[in-house]
Amino acid sequence: MSQAIQSEGPAAEFTRPLLLTPGADRAGWLAAKAGRAALLLVAGASVVAVLLIFFFIAREAIPFFQERGLGEAASSTHWYPEDATAPQFGMLALIYGSVSVTVGALILAVPLGILAAVVLSDIVPFAVRQCVKPVIELLAAIPSVAFGVFAVKVLAPLMQERLGLPTGTNALNASFVLALMATPTIVSVAEDSIWAVGRELREASYACGATRAETLLKVVLPAAHNGVIAAIVLGMMRAIGETMLVWMASGNACQVPAPWWDLSQSVRTLTATVAGEMGETARGSLHYHSLFAVALVLLVFSLGLNLLTERLLSKARKSAGAHA
Amino acid sequence: MITRGLAVTLAAAFVVLGVTAYWAQAQTTRPSMPPAAAASAPAPKAAPMDKAALQIDGSTTVGPIAVEFVEAFKKLHPDVTITCKQTGSGDGAAALIDGRCQIATMSRFMKPEEFKSAVEKGEMPVAHAIAMDGVCMIVHPSNPVKALTIAQVHDIYTGKIANWKELGGMDAPIVVVSRDTSSGTYETFTHFVMGKDKLFDKVEYVNANPQAHARVSTTAGAIGYVGLGFVDTKVKALPIDGVMPSRKTVQAGTYPMTRPLFLFTNGYPKLGSVEHAFCTFYLTEQGQKIIEAKGFVPVTSY
Amino acid sequence: MIEVNEMPQRKVLAAGTAAKTTDVKMANYVPQAAGPEQQLPAIIRADRFSLYYGSHAGVKDITFDIYPRAVTAIIGPSGCGKSTFLRSINRMNDLIPNTRAEGTLCVNDVNVYDRRINLANLRQQVGMVFQKPNPFPKTIYANVAYGPRLQGVHGRALDEQVEQCLRHAALWEEVKDYLDRSALGLSGGQQQRLCLARALATQPNVLLMDEPCSALDPIATAKIEELIISLKDEYTIVIVTHNMQQAARISDRTAFFCLGELIEYDQTKVIFTNPVRKQTEEYVTGRFG
Ligand SMILES: Nc1ncnc2c1ncn2[C@@H]1O[C@H](COP(=O)(O)OP(=O)(O)OP(=O)(O)O)[C@@H](O)[C@H]1O
Ligand SMILES: [Mg+2]
Repeated sequence: MSQAIQSEGPAAEFTRPLLLTPGADRAGWLAAKAGRAALLLVAGASVVAVLLIFFFIAREAIPFFQERGLGEAASSTHWYPEDATAPQFGMLALIYGSVSVTVGALILAVPLGILAAVVLSDIVPFAVRQCVKPVIELLAAIPSVAFGVFAVKVLAPLMQERLGLPTGTNALNASFVLALMATPTIVSVAEDSIWAVGRELREASYACGATRAETLLKVVLPAAHNGVIAAIVLGMMRAIGETMLVWMASGNACQVPAPWWDLSQSVRTLTATVAGEMGETARGSLHYHSLFAVALVLLVFSLGLNLLTERLLSKARKSAGAHA
Repeated sequence: MITRGLAVTLAAAFVVLGVTAYWAQAQTTRPSMPPAAAASAPAPKAAPMDKAALQIDGSTTVGPIAVEFVEAFKKLHPDVTITCKQTGSGDGAAALIDGRCQIATMSRFMKPEEFKSAVEKGEMPVAHAIAMDGVCMIVHPSNPVKALTIAQVHDIYTGKIANWKELGGMDAPIVVVSRDTSSGTYETFTHFVMGKDKLFDKVEYVNANPQAHARVSTTAGAIGYVGLGFVDTKVKALPIDGVMPSRKTVQAGTYPMTRPLFLFTNGYPKLGSVEHAFCTFYLTEQGQKIIEAKGFVPVTSY
Repeated sequence: MIEVNEMPQRKVLAAGTAAKTTDVKMANYVPQAAGPEQQLPAIIRADRFSLYYGSHAGVKDITFDIYPRAVTAIIGPSGCGKSTFLRSINRMNDLIPNTRAEGTLCVNDVNVYDRRINLANLRQQVGMVFQKPNPFPKTIYANVAYGPRLQGVHGRALDEQVEQCLRHAALWEEVKDYLDRSALGLSGGQQQRLCLARALATQPNVLLMDEPCSALDPIATAKIEELIISLKDEYTIVIVTHNMQQAARISDRTAFFCLGELIEYDQTKVIFTNPVRKQTEEYVTGRFG
């Protein structure tokens, strides 16, 4: 058979050359090198920029640590930087404030956000999801000042009247409003990843006789855990870095409340301290440098949190048995 | 991982772009400034009245007055371009010293450190007191307490008095509200009330007069302090040491917590310059009306 | 089933009837109800069943009885609605937005499109192997154990069940030392066999297989076919395949679908040797076009 074809005439010709010409080969090699160099440059610039920011903050913070050391900042809760005779720079209360408000926000926002994401992706009809999703994404764009005004004008009086708290601007209020603000971000990112799990896996689970709840809990969420954790990290970063809102909602009392878990008392965060005090300090004063030290603590803190979640994430990934 | 790396890269690239853009802008705007910073003598920058550019920066308390001044001033001198920023007294002072502005608005007098760095640059800040401000103690309108003394306010803010019933009021904890520690209002308040003592750690801080007003007007047990201009019917201002804060008592100086508001210039402005016209605007009838409209008290009255 | 015969108005397309009564050949066509399982009532019955994707019909007007303890093959050109029909039996199409069913489709005399249907129980008893392998991103063990765990099986019993199912699916020897590795690390064919093991592990009564061998090599295919033949003593198996020889080898009855309609349904040997419809003949002899 094949002989017959050969004898009838030549096979179809390869009209395009299969080998590169030396010139084209060299050009391709050069283009690859140049592209790689350009990418490296951009990547390097970004790393340099991050380092520069870090360096700048650290440089302005160093005079503070030189003069006061680390001990006071890490052990004392007294933050009286402007005191004329004996200024005090204890950051413990500020750290406590940041942590309590962030943790409080996450406790509220994470279950709510993931629940909403699941509802959107798996429970409501597709058309509803298509309408609601953009609206939620729009919510993520509301400026934090708006939330702050809501916290002061609506939520604070409400808490005073309904819960009988003496003050409405407190850690609970800040946590709640931060949660409100972070939830759309969490919903949006988590929903994307839950949606991306795809019909095939859901079908596989249903075909084993699983109910919807079992499918969601045992298959969909574990399969989407990367995106879900990314959503939580994003929400957390939004919460811990938020300034304007906590400055308005948290009351800014520089204290560690008497039972430390009492969220109904006012607290002050690291961010609020920097933002609130930077404008009016005399440049170059100890107070000025101390604010950079606070910023440095915040930076180290969020970096540490990021690394921690990254670690947890890889652990979760391993236990889920995705890629060995 | 790859996408995250890319996102970080992009974000950082934007930061770099922003920084360079800002730097480039700073580079181009610097030379257009009068070269006074380089000159060793405190030579006032005498800009001719027409086509002059004026930069104002500083306090958020004085800012509203300055903005209104600029509005009115532009009508009188349409060729003058004025930019007016409200960043804070400290930033205003730093900007004046660095030559980034010609007039700094400040709700406090310059600090020794600021003076020192100005003098080191060969500059001589000059203060113009343009208005008076009274710091009023305010409580919720439902609060039955009728009057306070400086000593009582002091004890409230140090935590020694924690419940209104100790002052003859209702049985409710006192929610103590203060302005942020770097505001001029705070400094005036601590100067008159606290002396060397510190505010105790349950004191809440808000970063603007309207917010202090909002906190007190919505919290039954709260006490706070604001500038005279922010007292209205939603809060109750209390007489201090028997003197009710009012325009009269502030102007006369009988109200115990009274402070001046300042404009600062580098050297006394040359007669006929824009700076001079602006820094004396508070003396005109129009300037006084603006000051009153903003809730402060003019230093002179016709 | 006696009732079937008592309901003449129902257009039963039992084994041995052609799709359309208008068919010219129908007159000389003698329904052959031969076979050892003839006396058993049908376990799956479709009556004028249609399934629409939006306005487009995936399958239309299918009337079709599937008998227990037998292998029923569904053949037909690509896109003719084989998967659609198969996936309707355990309501898998529910997950696709805008699908709509018409007519009735009964499993064990219960209409699966009844509003009161217990979907979890239906799907547990009507297992499915999908056209594309879809293992969970979990370990091999967890994949197979998924169904039994839902039913509350634990410990040694679970281990044994997992092993047995993996053996049935001809996968045990390859993975027995790697049970806690990710299932995503398996090859396509191994994944498909894993999915088969997973489906077996739920211990269904009916097993729906959508081209289970399309990604398998001849050895694994032979093993699966062996398994299917051994399973049919207890289970009802419906298998979609593009492999004519496979259908001929393993199935008792064969249905031929084309363009969303059931063209012919008969004993497998009839379909492959003496089909009633010309279309069927052309398809099974490879002259379809
Ligand atoms: N998710 C869907 N949405 C819309 N139409 C669909 C969907 N799935 C299938 N269809 C349509 O339904 C018809 C039947 O598809 P089906 O998947 O049942 O074919 P099939 O016989 O299984 O083909 P193959 O042998 O290629 O798997 C096709 O015309 C197809 O376009
Ligand atoms: Mg198919």
